[in-house]
Amino acid sequence: MKFSLKILLWTMTVMALALGFSGFYFVNFVFETSLSREVGQAKDESSILGFAFETAALSVPAKYSVLPDNTVEEIAANLEKGGQSAGRLLRISDEEKNALYVSDGFEMDEALLMRTEEDTKAYRIIRSDDHYYVHTGTAVNALNRILYLENLKDVSEVFTERAIGFSLYRRVTLIMLCAGLFVMYFISSMLTKPVRLLTEATKRMAAGDYAYRAKEISQDELGELTRDFNSMAGALEQNIEKLREEIDAKEEFMGAFAHELKTPLTAIIGYADMLRSHRLDEEKSILSANYIYTEGKRLETMSLRLLDIIIAGKEDAQLQTVSVEPVFDYLKEMFCARHEIEFHYTYEQCRIEAEVSLIKTVLVNLIDNACKASEDNGRVEVSGCAVDSGYRFAVRDYGIGIPQAELHKITKAFYMVDKSRARSKNGAGLGLALCVQILNIHHSELHIESEAGKGSCFSFVLTKSEVRDES
Amino acid sequence: MIKILIVDDEKPICDLIDLNLSSAGYHCVTVQDGLKAIEMIEQEAFDLILLDIMLPGADGYDVMEYIRPLDIPVIFITAKHEVKDRVKGLKLGADDYLVKPFDVVELVARVEAVLRRYNKTEQRLTAGDVVVDLEARRVVKAGKPVVLTNKEFGLLVLFIRNKNVALFRETLYEKVWEEEYYGDSRTLDLHVQRLRKKLGWENNLVAVYKVGYRLEES
Repeated sequence: MKFSLKILLWTMTVMALALGFSGFYFVNFVFETSLSREVGQAKDESSILGFAFETAALSVPAKYSVLPDNTVEEIAANLEKGGQSAGRLLRISDEEKNALYVSDGFEMDEALLMRTEEDTKAYRIIRSDDHYYVHTGTAVNALNRILYLENLKDVSEVFTERAIGFSLYRRVTLIMLCAGLFVMYFISSMLTKPVRLLTEATKRMAAGDYAYRAKEISQDELGELTRDFNSMAGALEQNIEKLREEIDAKEEFMGAFAHELKTPLTAIIGYADMLRSHRLDEEKSILSANYIYTEGKRLETMSLRLLDIIIAGKEDAQLQTVSVEPVFDYLKEMFCARHEIEFHYTYEQCRIEAEVSLIKTVLVNLIDNACKASEDNGRVEVSGCAVDSGYRFAVRDYGIGIPQAELHKITKAFYMVDKSRARSKNGAGLGLALCVQILNIHHSELHIESEAGKGSCFSFVLTKSEVRDES
Repeated sequence: MIKILIVDDEKPICDLIDLNLSSAGYHCVTVQDGLKAIEMIEQEAFDLILLDIMLPGADGYDVMEYIRPLDIPVIFITAKHEVKDRVKGLKLGADDYLVKPFDVVELVARVEAVLRRYNKTEQRLTAGDVVVDLEARRVVKAGKPVVLTNKEFGLLVLFIRNKNVALFRETLYEKVWEEEYYGDSRTLDLHVQRLRKKLGWENNLVAVYKVGYRLEES
């Protein structure tokens, strides 16, 4: 069952019960009050009648020592006549409780009469032919006789009023309930609206629409729930987006990798096939074998570089405090008179936080790239200087440079600015990807400034050690 | 002589295709740059172009735009195996595609097939005194017709097209029977023997130890 319907039903049940009880109690209270007033009046009337009867008996001639029956009748008839307009009904009985005078329409049993004693008064409320009466009985002491006077007072009106009150109240209750139902329907649907919106959002998200958010329409607990849900959805969406990007990057990498793998494989398979099938002359045999060798080497370089990247990605580098001097010494030794390229080293003395072998790998890669980009007799500058944020290494060349549009792609695996050129210099297109990976471990990044035809400058900043090197 | 332009940024691949197609009797020109390829296409007439997609200068699709009005058949050579890349190439008007890494025999067969479609290839193959009419599927030896079964005919064509090349059993079987080779060579050997007998090639069609067969022609 729907939550809003539940709210509605329970509210209506409680409302109906409350209205019913209060209505019944109220109508009944009014009724009881009226009835007791009527009973009081009936008792008063009974007393007045008794008194009137006794007074009338006093005027009976003195020749009777006992009040004769016919006189009783006479007085009773007079009394009845006196109250004709009020519909007074009387019955007078003698000591033996035999009726002496009965008004027309007085058709009561004698239960009350039997209970009425000389010194008591009695009353009861009795129903007869759809009429309610207050039946009072009293003893009258007149002229040595004890007579019993009964009186009926019609109180049907009070009962009718009660019935009307009830039926009116029922109608009012019904109308109130209908109106309440109407109002509560809107209220409950308004209260449960955040829940419905949230359900909708959950369904849409489950169906894959991760960007969908539940509308926040209230400030209460449900509103809070919606806000929390939305912030959870936001966090989830970010994670999913990140995962998706990672998958995309991986797929791109796999695609590039497959492509890079296929070219040397095609050559190796093709030349090997030629060697085994054809009778090649010596020159062609050597050419084929050489291609198999160089392409095999290319695969080897690629797989080693890939391994480096994977290891660099997994390694938790142990950063140590080291002096930059040995790093530059190592580079100087490695790149002194190679490639007919001029190397210039300028550096400031400093101690840095780094994993030396990894940083050496980065610098070797960058210098290697600089050499590949440079013409013969080119110039490569390697520098190190302290800056505000740390210690900055820079490798500058004056070679072919990188087109502006391709700058963002160059750190991707297998990217080469000039493919045939990089190939001829035994590049795999993985160096910069490895550098970025290593710098990530050092919480640093690679800055690239480049202009096509004029050369490039690759730089990165490492943390300086707190302890100052005095030497 | 049929002239083929090979465009691939990888020199080893260019040379590989060049060597194989040259030995199959085609004249080949190689170029490693898309822009240079366009220049050459504008200057010289080629019968077929083998085109790589990833090229420096202008990529294969760009080069294709220049080739299309010239109505020169094109075979794409690509390392991309995704269907959409192949479809794109074919939609641009390529006649066929070859996915790296490819078999040399397959390369030659595809080149033959495309050229045949353009009626640029010789419809008659000859080897010694044997003449094969590809269209009529007729074989004549020294003026006398020879009756061959379908498989024998297929084998003969493959041998003549790859003269002096040792053809591996699996290659022969896969090309002629168009089924995977499971190492059972009895069927193949039987057909080769019947072919030898029918053409009198006992000395020309030699078995190569542990490899297969080679058609030798001086």
